[in-house]
Amino acid sequence: MDNSLWLLMLACAVGTFLLRALPLIWMRRHLVRRSLSNTTEAMPVWLTVLAPTMIAAMFGVSLVPAHPGMSSWLATLLGGLCTILVWRRTRSLGWPVCIGVAVYGVVVVLLKMIG
Amino acid sequence: MSSVDLSKSSAWQQGARDALPLLGGYIPVAISFGLIAVQSGFSALETVLISALIYAGASQFLFIAMVASGAPLWLVLVMTLLINARHLVYGPNIAPYLSNSRWWPVLMHGLTDQIFALAHTRLPQLEEKDRMGWYISAALIAWGSWIIGTAVGAIAGAEITSRWPLLGEVMPFALPALFLVLLAPRFTSVQWTLTMIVTIVAALVLKLMGMTNSAIPLAALCGVSLFYLVQAKLKAEGKIHG
Repeated sequence: MDNSLWLLMLACAVGTFLLRALPLIWMRRHLVRRSLSNTTEAMPVWLTVLAPTMIAAMFGVSLVPAHPGMSSWLATLLGGLCTILVWRRTRSLGWPVCIGVAVYGVVVVLLKMIG
Repeated sequence: MSSVDLSKSSAWQQGARDALPLLGGYIPVAISFGLIAVQSGFSALETVLISALIYAGASQFLFIAMVASGAPLWLVLVMTLLINARHLVYGPNIAPYLSNSRWWPVLMHGLTDQIFALAHTRLPQLEEKDRMGWYISAALIAWGSWIIGTAVGAIAGAEITSRWPLLGEVMPFALPALFLVLLAPRFTSVQWTLTMIVTIVAALVLKLMGMTNSAIPLAALCGVSLFYLVQAKLKAEGKIHG
């Protein structure tokens, strides 16, 4: 990379970092101001709604397999079902994900063997 | 919300355990990034530095594609920051759970989509003294796996993908599985269930339509709008107050 590309990469890195850090600094100041003025509602409500919807949107995007097809959609469905069933039993993070990936993998392999 | 019992393990160990499922999603994508970057003319060192410093998956792919195609540098910068603009809402959402330590803003370098989703669920369940240790541990595991995956992809990506093609196909399912587990406790009322389902379906459809980068913010806005619509309807029917 020449000098201009190095500068570009650094600008992208600093810009991305600021997008992550500055809103946190702003919110901390906002929370301090709110607590000083004894206001009950510290966080804007829209922000508390936006966070879970962002995670739901990430989930929706990540559901689309890299190579969409009947087998990958079926594996996604069965892997997701098993993930949620294991979560209902364990209420943990690790096991449901492990079992979900294992089921997804087994379905993909089985369908490749059949088809 | 239930709290996490850390009597048998430290916050650092808990953070590492929670971040482990991310590896299934991060490493295959990082290997792909390393491979594509090297094929686009970047050296292995440059590729690893891009992953370490920018550390934002989609925008890194865009960065190398635009640079390789000879796009104007200002446009590369604008597009990279536009794609990452969704990160604007992550910090404020976890701010109420963070101490006044001056290190927290610096640690936001590790606040990716997935770490945010994990932190938004986990931080409220932890005691305040455990939160920084948990976050550093989870963020380091994710960052380290992204950097190592990139290096492996840059050095031996072609051989790995040809030898174990199934690995790259199966492991990324860890990400939707993780998001599903993080979302499951949020289906607590009709209002939230509707909001979640509409957001998920909107994101899925937008992604299938090829709007990969705008799918997350657009679907989230769609979900927030629906949340307020349902709330207004429930208020009008007198089922909730406020």
